[in-house]
Amino acid sequence: MTDSKYFTTTKKGEIFELKAELNSDKKEKKKEAVKKVIASMTVGKDVSALFPDVVNCMQTDNLELKKLVYLYLMNYAKSQPDMAIMAVNTFVKDCEDPNPLIRALAVRTMGCIRVDKITEYLCEPLRKCLKDEDPYVRKTAAVCVAKLHDINAQLVEDQGFLDTLKDLISDSNPMVVANAVAALSEIAESHPNSNLLDLNPQSINKLLTALNECTEWGQIFILDCLANYTPRDDRESQSICERVTPRLSHANSAVVLSAVKVLMKFMEMLPKDLDYYGTLLKKLAPPLVTLLSAEPELQYVALRNINLIVQKRPEILKHEMKVFFVKYNDPIYVKLEKLDIMIRLASQANIAQVLAELKEYATEVDVDFVRKAVRAIGRCAIKVEQSAERCVSTLLDLIQTKVNYVVQEAIVVIKDIFRKYPNKYESVIATLCENLDSLDEPEARAAMIWIVGEYAERIDNADELLESFLEGFHDESTQVQLQLLTAIVKLFLKKPTETQELVQQVLSLATQDSDNPDLRDRGYIYWRLLSTDPVAAKEVVLAEKPLISEETDLIEPTLLEELICHIGTLASVYHKPPSAFVEGSRGVMHKRLPARTGSGEGTECPDVGNAAGGSAPEAAPSIIPSQGDLLGDLLNLDLAPPTTTGPTPSTSGMQMGGMDLLGGGLDSLMDESEPPHVPLQTDPPQSPSPQPPSPVYTHTDYTYTDYSHTDSPPDHSSTEHSPPAELGGDIGGSPAMGAGFGAAPTVMPASLNAPVGGGLGDLFDLGGGVGMPMGAYIPPKTVWLPAMKAKGLEISGTFARRAGVIQMELVLTNKAMSVMTDFAIQFNRNSFGLAPAGPLQVLTPLGPNQTIEVSLPLSTVGPVMKMDPLNNLQVAVKNNIDVFYFSCQYPISMLFVEDGKMERQVFLATWKDIPNDNESQFQIQDCHLNSEAASNKLQGSNIFTIAKRTVEGQDMLYMSIKLSNGIWVLAELKVQAGNPNYTISLKCRAPEVSQCVFQCYEAVLKN
Amino acid sequence: MISQVFILSSKGDHLIYKDFRGEAGKDAVNKFYEMVTALTGGQPPVVMKHKELHFVHIRQGGLYWVATTKADASPFTIIEFLNRLTALVKDYCGCLSEKSVQMNFALIYELLDEVVDFGYIQTTSTDILKNFIQTEAVSSKPFSLFDLSNVGLFGADTQQNKVAPSAAATRPIVSSQGEQGGKNEIFVDVIERMSVVIGANGVLMKADIEGEIRVKCYMPSCSEMRIGLNEEFSIGKSQLSGYGAAVRVDECSFHQAVRLDEFDTYRILKVCPSQGEQTVMQYQLCDDLPTAPPFRLFPSIERDSGGRYRTLFIHVPLSLRQSLFSYSAAINVSITIPVPKGSLRLSQELSSPDQSAELQPKNKAVHWEIPRFPGGAQLSALFKLEVSGLSAASLQEVGPVSLNFELPKYTSTGLQIRFLRLSPIQPGPSQRWVRYVTHSDSYTIRI
Repeated sequence: MTDSKYFTTTKKGEIFELKAELNSDKKEKKKEAVKKVIASMTVGKDVSALFPDVVNCMQTDNLELKKLVYLYLMNYAKSQPDMAIMAVNTFVKDCEDPNPLIRALAVRTMGCIRVDKITEYLCEPLRKCLKDEDPYVRKTAAVCVAKLHDINAQLVEDQGFLDTLKDLISDSNPMVVANAVAALSEIAESHPNSNLLDLNPQSINKLLTALNECTEWGQIFILDCLANYTPRDDRESQSICERVTPRLSHANSAVVLSAVKVLMKFMEMLPKDLDYYGTLLKKLAPPLVTLLSAEPELQYVALRNINLIVQKRPEILKHEMKVFFVKYNDPIYVKLEKLDIMIRLASQANIAQVLAELKEYATEVDVDFVRKAVRAIGRCAIKVEQSAERCVSTLLDLIQTKVNYVVQEAIVVIKDIFRKYPNKYESVIATLCENLDSLDEPEARAAMIWIVGEYAERIDNADELLESFLEGFHDESTQVQLQLLTAIVKLFLKKPTETQELVQQVLSLATQDSDNPDLRDRGYIYWRLLSTDPVAAKEVVLAEKPLISEETDLIEPTLLEELICHIGTLASVYHKPPSAFVEGSRGVMHKRLPARTGSGEGTECPDVGNAAGGSAPEAAPSIIPSQGDLLGDLLNLDLAPPTTTGPTPSTSGMQMGGMDLLGGGLDSLMDESEPPHVPLQTDPPQSPSPQPPSPVYTHTDYTYTDYSHTDSPPDHSSTEHSPPAELGGDIGGSPAMGAGFGAAPTVMPASLNAPVGGGLGDLFDLGGGVGMPMGAYIPPKTVWLPAMKAKGLEISGTFARRAGVIQMELVLTNKAMSVMTDFAIQFNRNSFGLAPAGPLQVLTPLGPNQTIEVSLPLSTVGPVMKMDPLNNLQVAVKNNIDVFYFSCQYPISMLFVEDGKMERQVFLATWKDIPNDNESQFQIQDCHLNSEAASNKLQGSNIFTIAKRTVEGQDMLYMSIKLSNGIWVLAELKVQAGNPNYTISLKCRAPEVSQCVFQCYEAVLKN
Repeated sequence: MISQVFILSSKGDHLIYKDFRGEAGKDAVNKFYEMVTALTGGQPPVVMKHKELHFVHIRQGGLYWVATTKADASPFTIIEFLNRLTALVKDYCGCLSEKSVQMNFALIYELLDEVVDFGYIQTTSTDILKNFIQTEAVSSKPFSLFDLSNVGLFGADTQQNKVAPSAAATRPIVSSQGEQGGKNEIFVDVIERMSVVIGANGVLMKADIEGEIRVKCYMPSCSEMRIGLNEEFSIGKSQLSGYGAAVRVDECSFHQAVRLDEFDTYRILKVCPSQGEQTVMQYQLCDDLPTAPPFRLFPSIERDSGGRYRTLFIHVPLSLRQSLFSYSAAINVSITIPVPKGSLRLSQELSSPDQSAELQPKNKAVHWEIPRFPGGAQLSALFKLEVSGLSAASLQEVGPVSLNFELPKYTSTGLQIRFLRLSPIQPGPSQRWVRYVTHSDSYTIRI
């Protein structure tokens, strides 16, 4: 007879049948019945109606039956809390049973019954079980404390279970220690400021001892707990490392990875010249390699982690290239990860081997893998200069296969190779041109068009080639359209005589027939450049491009550091910080690597480049966002054709009119709504089309010349070079700026007339460059402590930030009859660690009816405790009469530090990185400042405007704030001309500060 | 911290569902099945996310074994745990299948209760667990000693899974007291997986061996087992191989229960085997194989441009090294040759009737199967392919050739078990079985 029969019955009246069986006298029958009930429960049938009958079976000597009943209870107690109470007595009795198995079973099950009412009955049995003589009961009870804490945290604290739990860390049984550590770690996570897990050298020593005796799973708890400890110095760090290292050869990969995490973290503190450091590096490689012989699931997880480790410390695996070669029977997701690591490890020493492998991969069956392999060849060429030639010839071989997707990938990477090594491999262009017809993916088409445009002078039939693309202009994706526009303009500048018609055609297509603002704006820029100053146009469009850098897809250093602290966890698989996917307070704590002692860098993050073997520090590789452009993403600029209708031609006509004021208009053309012409002024023969003579052409000092000496920012180079970025590269900005520019005629006067020659870049500097910083906002003084409450002493005051120092400005008034002396002040612990930086300077005694103003400098290094509201400060003032207490709220703006201006790139990355849940929106009513005045005003309070953009008359200001405790707040302020209501969105990793920050905005802007 | 554990059949039926922390609803089960069946080939299925819940799963015995978590837990821990759980279920129920899980659901719930508490993994050792587990396993097949005639590998998940599991090794470790006789058995398997890449010029480019020693024990009273390995066994790259007979590996790791006090001098592993299956030792050897790879292959490709369709001749002579296999044979050999994309028809000349070959247009490959390949033999095949649009570049699409095979009674590192001693001396008859097998992991020959 087997159990499977339980799954088969679903007849009517089944419940009644079961009921009868449950109440049977025969034990066997009862057991069978309970099994049937549980089987139904598993497949999702509701058998809660049987609750009383099942509970009746609970009182039995048969352990097997008891376990089955408990299983049922755990599932249904929550839905039947009143009935669950019925079971309590049996539980309490079982906790006294002579059999430790039954005691443990009872305490384990009670904890799983997540009913609030039951908890009070649980406390006494739990207390006994925590001190039970049997370790099996104790280890079960330790976990039960965590369960209880999850249901009722206050109760656990009140009952003193936490202290008992702490004592269990010194238990003689390693299993008990491990469970106590696990329970405490979890409880500590919900109390970030408590030092529940008081990690000090003594307790660490205990843990390290238990580590050797635990089960493998216990070792994981202990290692994860160790990883949260920060050793005092490199000595301690080394001794812990030495004791953890033996775990690297454990058969359980989870133990190995937890050990790797501890070592990677503590290694950070070891001096590089130490012999031990080198030894440790050598010891880390074999366990990582071993992970690759596990099941594919584990391999994948391991590879994601190795990817991080390789970025942080490439030297660990630099000799192990071969293990990352793919096997033909690897699952595709393992293959792709291996490929990624291969490129990261590629160097001059192993490039020949790598290339040979990649070439093999490029002929495999799986399309995704082949594509990535082809791309990898290109990345090798860019990374290892010596190999470039071989890479190019390999790519050419692959193009010969005529396999459609291989050809397209190859062309995309060859474009990057051209940008890295200009004027070296152009001989292959002819081969590329042969494959023009087979290109059907936008990225490949765009790349090919870029190549044709860039090397138009060497391609005899460049105009024919481009013309052929132009036929289906409207069916192309935006990426291709933009690229085609630029390429034809390039062609025109190189061969003006033959291509006039072509350029007119494309300009008219782009500006007139397109709904896409990006395309239209770029069209207009070219048009006006060509019409006003073709020499400048040449300088702009054909400007020398910066070389692209070699490393792509690197993880941003701060994120990488955080991820290294989370090796072996889900974060390391997703490559996202835990705050991005774990709910609740758990994500708020950001883990960081410890600083190297003795380096004097403080908590400054160590240079990523310094990982290379302790030789001369390499330049930190610049980080390139893997796709598109961050700014584009941030500003929600969809680079694809817009789905909503863009501004209609009439509005753009109006905008053009606005631009006309600046000295170069096309108004006549626009107003006549004729097909626009390209007015040509220069050496090429006059345009055959009739040109309406217009005075605007005489403006030769047109401000567009500014752009010509804009160097492309070096950080902009990208191998994932998207066509919009092309324009950006030319005129010194990113694609969004093209759009921002076109759509922002109203703000243009400011930037264009500004004497600085930064071109569009200045748009982003408005706050700092143009504005006049005003003083920080200081709220008016308010009465904090009325004389009534303080035996005649009245205190009023405010807070201010002057020259980077926070000051508490107090006015003390003596309204009593006697003289007051011996003043002193103290703060309670508060959210930002505010504390008096010196004594309260009241030197002379304060006579009756006398008033004195005192300024007390504050520091932010005091003890921290989260207050509610966040900016609440509890103060005690003492004088010769008594001690008085009051509380006040400080404007959080005085905590905004002077260096709170974030780099633009960092801002974008951070904005993206902070989860959307952390964003909060507020309205500021009745504010009549324009965006510039607002930005100036805010800057006075250390709220820095980083970028500004205008969309349809609405100014968007992007701002950053840094608090004295290092928290960054990012803000987006929307100001609509003529509308006194601003909208502000705040994003911060600690969202609880948002409300306070918003209040500051309101206070600053309205005063 | 594990939130839930559930086991689903391949059709999505709920077999086992256990919630440990009450954080997630039962609808997660259906959500998981929806997600896992919707996966496309390229997506890594290991870790999946739905809202705040993360799913980690493995597939074994045709079942989905899934754990969910809401915290930033370690996927390594969870995958290792799920693997252990499958091993435990296999140990307790005899084998892994939908039927055995269904038959033993009460036992599995009991196991889960002891193995995980509030999401913390407690223990996965059968030795400890057998003190707590009350439920008897229900076995699907009555066990008979006569089945031993076709003893296969109990654990080696060989690639084709063609080795029939023997009934001897698929019974529950703890069974009722009745059938005491004849069950004192111990199985030791030495399994090696071989990865080889041979370059187009016949040069060996890469050769790796991953090996393991697995023990499955049915001896309730065995307190210690001594496994003697080759005396000349050495670990590490730098050690000299002495007179050339040494058996060498690069890396070695051992099960927690293995004591190594006699290992350094006598190469003896002392194990206190818990009942059930465990991997006692794992080892790797990279590049420096003691012997040449077992198969050699010298494919030649010719192009014939005559006729309506252009034809490609691929001549594949394959030989198995004589020296080692004069007494043995390779089994289940299959050879895959990728061919150009326009391949339309295949005609073949094979050297014996039991072989077969077919063109699989979907995979762009020719698949050649040889059920049995005697040692020292040389087989050859000539494939004639009709390819439309054949060009010089098409030739690049041919290859690399990959081989799958099993070599029973052979270890490529040369590792042998010298002896297997049990103490205390077992009462009554006891059986000790030692088996060796090498199978291919990824064996490729480039063209």
